[in-house]
Amino acid sequence: MSITTTGNLGPMILQSLAPAMLYVPTPTMNYILVCDKVSMPANGGTTCRFMRPRALVPPTIQLGNSGIDPPAQVPQRDIIDAQMAFFGTGCIINEQVILQDQEGVLAWVSERLAVAMRQAEDLILRDYIVSAASQINAGGGSNGDNPTNLGISDFSLVATTLDTNNAYKFMSGIEGMDRFGTGPVRSAYFMLSSTELQSDFDGLVGSGFLSQWNYPTNASALPSEYGSVFNTRILTSSEAPVARGASKNGNDVYYNTVLGKQAITHINQDGYSMNLIYRDPYYSGMLAQNATIAVKFAQAQAITQDTAIRNLISTRLSSVAGP
Amino acid sequence: MAEYSKMAKGHFTSTGGAQVINLPFQPDRIEMTNFTATATPANHGIPFAWWDVSMGQGTGLGFVNNATPVTTTGQFLTGGFSTFAAGQLLQFGPTYQYTNSGNPTFSISQHATAPVVTTSVAHGLTSGNVVIFENLYQTATTGMVQIAGVPFTVTVTGATTFTINWNTNQSTYAAFDSSTSTGHAGSWKQVLYPYLYCPNQAVITAINTTTNVITTAAAHNFVVGQEVAFRIPTIWGTTQLNSLPNIVIPGSPGYYYVTAVTQNTFTVSGNLTAFTAYNSNFGGGAVIPTGAWTFPQVVPVGDLNTGGVPYSGGALYPSPLVYSGYGNTQVPTINGPAIQGAFVNNTSQGFIIGAGNIKVGAAGADTSSHLVGAAEDVIYWVAYYDDLSMN
Repeated sequence: MSITTTGNLGPMILQSLAPAMLYVPTPTMNYILVCDKVSMPANGGTTCRFMRPRALVPPTIQLGNSGIDPPAQVPQRDIIDAQMAFFGTGCIINEQVILQDQEGVLAWVSERLAVAMRQAEDLILRDYIVSAASQINAGGGSNGDNPTNLGISDFSLVATTLDTNNAYKFMSGIEGMDRFGTGPVRSAYFMLSSTELQSDFDGLVGSGFLSQWNYPTNASALPSEYGSVFNTRILTSSEAPVARGASKNGNDVYYNTVLGKQAITHINQDGYSMNLIYRDPYYSGMLAQNATIAVKFAQAQAITQDTAIRNLISTRLSSVAGP
Repeated sequence: MAEYSKMAKGHFTSTGGAQVINLPFQPDRIEMTNFTATATPANHGIPFAWWDVSMGQGTGLGFVNNATPVTTTGQFLTGGFSTFAAGQLLQFGPTYQYTNSGNPTFSISQHATAPVVTTSVAHGLTSGNVVIFENLYQTATTGMVQIAGVPFTVTVTGATTFTINWNTNQSTYAAFDSSTSTGHAGSWKQVLYPYLYCPNQAVITAINTTTNVITTAAAHNFVVGQEVAFRIPTIWGTTQLNSLPNIVIPGSPGYYYVTAVTQNTFTVSGNLTAFTAYNSNFGGGAVIPTGAWTFPQVVPVGDLNTGGVPYSGGALYPSPLVYSGYGNTQVPTINGPAIQGAFVNNTSQGFIIGAGNIKVGAAGADTSSHLVGAAEDVIYWVAYYDDLSMN
């Protein structure tokens, strides 16, 4: 008896492409979320200028009865400048790829370029904040390093600092509700942290950390929000800045950016953002072989309220489990 | 075929240290001609050199003159050509620390202004590079942990020595040497791209309340007319400089204007003579401080300028000038003109011509020859990014 098997009658086509693409691991992009947005006009030069008036001296001395006016004050203001910069990247795709590949190459490459652009926008803001904002070393933790891991007192200290600086909080509080396991959430600044610190936050449950899941309602919680401690609501991302092996004792140093409203401003120029540029192969050489697809954007950034931002830098308590 | 390939050329006068060339691309092929060494052949001169990406980063091939002079061929195993993409912060070079084989080790001397770091093997740094230290425990209670984590501009004084600017000659500091430290603790590494966004936050190492000169551990990239704010925790003394609190106008931050700058110093306006003296010897006693502390810092908060970089020949509208982390002179960013003191982007890419030594045959490297030539040598270069690479 002869049995026909795939050994003597194999399939003519061996593979079948699954119907959907797999997801691309992509960090949450928190830095752009907390920025003020300003658009610089076209034909407006290279530099965006901000002006902030200075407070006048409150007239706390009485006029008396002399009939003589006190000396006039001279109003002053502070000026902050930021230079526009342009960014872009793209791909050159031979027409044979477009013609012969069975998946929609142009479609998914377009999507990847768009995500790359958005991620660049966020990484630029991240690194600018690391570079330009002042730092507070965590000292409330117990690991004996400098900075220490995050302790409850560090959250209190940084919020106290921003409050004393008269920074504006981002979020109003969430009133407590009669629901098991929940607790009220204070009005809050945002803290942008690394996902690698989530285990440390979990270790603070009962000491002041409230998981986002334990909010009375999480209607106002952001997708990347992990929880809150006192007057900070914590957004985490795997792309948050980490200086590897840079602490006093050679441990990783995490930059936890705590900020209020208007601390950082993101600037574009005349809406010059997110330009997706596709050029048909017709525009390449004499045989029109290659298409190009690219993204381009303009961006500047400035710390517009230096009093409303601090990088609370820390190490971590628990050892990294590994990627 | 050259539809998408990229080519660039240029020349510069060597300082003797590694030279950074910013380009709109990272080349895969580089050719270099040392005009001086070619026109006037002399012992150790390297008239020509070249590199292909497939040779590996930091390598290269070249000619070298001997005393006759006769030109022979050789190669660069380290300190040759390399490409870079300075697009993100917090990237570090290899960690320099003791290994099981006993090398490398390093020491830091006690000195009031320029402690000497001595390494057991060549450090490979160029003046202007930035380094950080970790684990500077000579014993459990002595050492120099006070400076761990601070980014320092280095001044190279030899192949195995460089200096940093911090007063380590104080009671709470003890000389550090990783060849004798407990468990051979101690390490340092280079911060590869320290100044991608300028002006930048900087750690303060000294405040002179008489001359108003403030010294920073790494370059601050401030300009005259910069407006700055201080963040000085109580342990460091001069808290009167802090922008807040403000007793006269509660809540209103007080800033200072910069009146003069060098790479690691700046001068502020105002009278500081009544301010508390700066103190980097906190903790007291003869032991290192325990616990955590925040470093004294200065941050840019604005400027009062209205124009760009003054014209001094060359481009009519110069780009902002910044310290790049290589060398002690400012270089233009790759962007266009901006108001002086504006927050600018200094990301870039391109290649580096290193100061490595050529090695001829089986002989050891010629430590008197340097790829980038000697100071004042005129170097011409060509860089390519090819359309078609067959490897």
